Amino acid sequence: MKIAVLMKDVPDLVEDLEVEDGALPLDEMSFVPSEWDDQALEEALLIKEEDGADVTAVAVDTGDVDTMLYTALAKGVDRAVKIVGDFSRSLTNRQRAQLLARYCQNERFDLILTGVQAIDDLDGQIAGLVAGLMGIGHASVVRDVHVAQDRVRFVQEYSGGKMAEFDLACPALLGIQAARKPPRYVTIAKVRQVQKSAEIDEVEDSVGETPVVTVRRLYKPESGGHAEMWGDDVETVANHIVAILEEKKLLRG
Amino acid sequence: MTVRTVLMIFTVAMILVSGGLFMRRLATLIRVMKGARPAQRTDRLGARVQSVVEHVLLHRRMFRITYSGLLHYLIFSGFVVLLIDIVETVGEIFFPGFTVGRVLAPLVDIWVLLVALGILMALYNRLVIRPARFHGSDEKDAYLILGLIAAIIVGIVIHDSFFPFVAREVLHVADPVARSHFLGWALSRVWLRLGWTGPTAASIGYAVGYVMDMGVVLAFLAYLPYSKHFHIFAAVPNIFLRNLGPKGALLAQPPEDTMAIRTFNDFTWKDLLDLYTCTECGRCQAVCPAHAAGQPLSPKMVILKLRDALNEQLAAKTVGNADTPPIAGQVISQDELWACTTCGACQEACPVFIEHVPKIVGLRAALLEDGDIEANAQKVLVAWDRQGNSFGQPARKRPAWAKGLDVPIKDARKEPVDWLWFVGDFAALDPRVQRLSQLIARLLHQAGVDFGILYEGEVNAGNEALRIGEYGLFETLAQKNIQALNQAQYQRIFTTDPHSLNALKNEYQKLGFHREVRHYTEAFLELIETGRLTVRPLSMRATYHDPCYLGRWNGIVEAPRRLLERLGVELVEMPRHGVQSFCCGAGGGRIWMEETNITDRPANQRIREAMTLPDVHYFVVACPKDVSMFSASVTAMGVENALRVVDMAELLAVAVGLETAEDAALISS
Ligand code: SF4
Ligand code: SF4
Repeated sequence: MKIAVLMKDVPDLVEDLEVEDGALPLDEMSFVPSEWDDQALEEALLIKEEDGADVTAVAVDTGDVDTMLYTALAKGVDRAVKIVGDFSRSLTNRQRAQLLARYCQNERFDLILTGVQAIDDLDGQIAGLVAGLMGIGHASVVRDVHVAQDRVRFVQEYSGGKMAEFDLACPALLGIQAARKPPRYVTIAKVRQVQKSAEIDEVEDSVGETPVVTVRRLYKPESGGHAEMWGDDVETVANHIVAILEEKKLLRG
Repeated sequence: MTVRTVLMIFTVAMILVSGGLFMRRLATLIRVMKGARPAQRTDRLGARVQSVVEHVLLHRRMFRITYSGLLHYLIFSGFVVLLIDIVETVGEIFFPGFTVGRVLAPLVDIWVLLVALGILMALYNRLVIRPARFHGSDEKDAYLILGLIAAIIVGIVIHDSFFPFVAREVLHVADPVARSHFLGWALSRVWLRLGWTGPTAASIGYAVGYVMDMGVVLAFLAYLPYSKHFHIFAAVPNIFLRNLGPKGALLAQPPEDTMAIRTFNDFTWKDLLDLYTCTECGRCQAVCPAHAAGQPLSPKMVILKLRDALNEQLAAKTVGNADTPPIAGQVISQDELWACTTCGACQEACPVFIEHVPKIVGLRAALLEDGDIEANAQKVLVAWDRQGNSFGQPARKRPAWAKGLDVPIKDARKEPVDWLWFVGDFAALDPRVQRLSQLIARLLHQAGVDFGILYEGEVNAGNEALRIGEYGLFETLAQKNIQALNQAQYQRIFTTDPHSLNALKNEYQKLGFHREVRHYTEAFLELIETGRLTVRPLSMRATYHDPCYLGRWNGIVEAPRRLLERLGVELVEMPRHGVQSFCCGAGGGRIWMEETNITDRPANQRIREAMTLPDVHYFVVACPKDVSMFSASVTAMGVENALRVVDMAELLAVAVGLETAEDAALISS
């Protein structure tokens, strides 16, 4: 079984994000691997450990994705691939999907996993777009992925704890909600060692024409008739919350 | 054949067989030690000899438990006197007419009495007192050994009692020391009365005693290397070869490849010697906070399980094979390994200087390499890597506590300072401790100290990363700090955090950083003693908790006490204090891990210990982690009114007149 894990990095939310001139200063921000992609990677590694598989980690080179790919190698993927070209951090999901789909089409993966969403892709478009462009089976918000021959089996969970188990023919693409186990830790020493001994494969490509949605403005919610805005000050907000809890008799002095 | 010939043949045969078995076992152990990682332990001969004198001849650590120390001393001294008996007994048979003289001979009898007393005390200890620390030890072995020692001393008296008759009737020599062996002499009066003095009766009687003595001694020789009593041989070299390097350095050298311990070849040879030296006394278990908390860890059992696993592998000839069951995770479970706070109490208690912590951490490193680590601790490792602090706060926020303060704090990276202050994660980022950091800044200002910090240039010191087993991360963090420190211009460096102190002082040496680092209690003591800071004595009673990384690992126990004295605090010691302090439970990464398995938190136990002290209402701490651990305990236990946790900085602030209304309560009480 040939598995691909589509990965990307996203702004580190630990840092306060400042909007400058209506946009995020992407060049000054620090980036971390998207946590859902980490879950997809873990699930792929678990499948590999369970049934044996050849796993490739794939990322579009929109900046510094090397550390993320070396980390994936250190965790145990067989190959890391970076799609290189003239890509900026503001690559749209549509463009990203196009690049990933083209690469995956060529490589004929049996199974492609990626995070169900990312903090800059809250609707989880990537999974659906790539599968659509490739014309292969797709499901999202899934977990507990197991493979058997040319089929893949997985679980979707609905509100109220209801579950459904699915079965899909390969090739297929799944948007992973969570891995069966928390993503494994990889030591700094191991990543360093992989940086010395392994290489990231590069595949060249360029973005094609896609419709682009432009941002007109970013703004905070405006207070309407029914809402009272408390502002940003932690103390003030905390006092308000305490007052409400007291009012509703939820606090005991 | 006379009794002499029989016993000579017996003795030679026993020496050959027992000696052979002993040497064979010794050769096996030496071979496995040769295959292990290196350790430099033969430097500083003078200090090594001195420690042997202190801890073997004088039994210093053994006497920390007076009863056990005494009984062991009685039996131990016996082994020295046993030499006289062996020389005499073998001599009188092989070289008729040989004696050790009238001075040495009665020593043997005195010793017999002392050892007998020791054995009785040991039996009373094991049967009646039954200390919990023996739980898990091989008690059968202990009884067997006590029985064998008893057989030896009884044998000695028996053969001494028959020797006068054998000498006269069989060997035809004089026995000038017959009366000197006063116990044997007394018993020989019985044989006279019974008429067992003829050649045959005396020969039989003598042979029985001889076999009980020499036979058992030689059998002992063969059995020892397989039993806990191998410590009789191993303890002296193990104490001689103990770690004399900086105590707080987990590793003397950067690991060659990895610090992970996967097979027995990955331990150092000294680690393996440790395994065979363990006496199963359980002193380490008795002081272990993880064990006391109800967790599955016992430092004693770690050593014993490792020894048993190594013995199995030695028998199966699989030492070093990668396909043997994993040590980390199987021989010693994950829960055991992650339970350790690396407090070092076990090492401090061990009478034969076994080092548990490096073994535990090396095994943790193996788990970590396989990606197995407790989820919360994993988050902290990632946060250290990304943000440089355990709080997962942006690096920029590190100096936020210093903003808006009425005293200026210099950026030591930009301008020269006299004192450089390494703040540490908790003091910089924990809201409960930030207040104390501000106090320290104001105190330094008051004393007119020209000081500065590294601002965003400082990252976590890496002490805990190393103790979680993540050497690469430790090294990354350390290198960042060392780079910032090298950029800065300063005369002296101090820290408020014992964990940072330990890393800077002991662990950074191997990365080329060799500055003398002080704890703030030492720094402030100096400010007061040199008159730079004037204090108004507080007149209060308090107890003081020694942080493991200050007291035990760095021996800084005097400075905080002298500082308390200067501050007018009447110190009431808890039963466990100084280097024998009891851990709060936070070290070694534990502070971030889930408290599963914990039935009684070590910090709560410590608070209860303090509450047994008469009229003590203040619990003084000198470590930011202690502030948060003990405040949480006092609150959870609902004893805030009976015992208040105060940091040394608060006492200082009140004593120099920086007090706030809240702190002023310290003096009025
Ligand atoms: S270092 Fe402390 S917690 Fe760890 S085994 Fe030793 S006594 Fe127990
Ligand atoms: S390790 Fe030391 S303290 Fe612990 S049982 Fe063995 S000899 Fe005793």
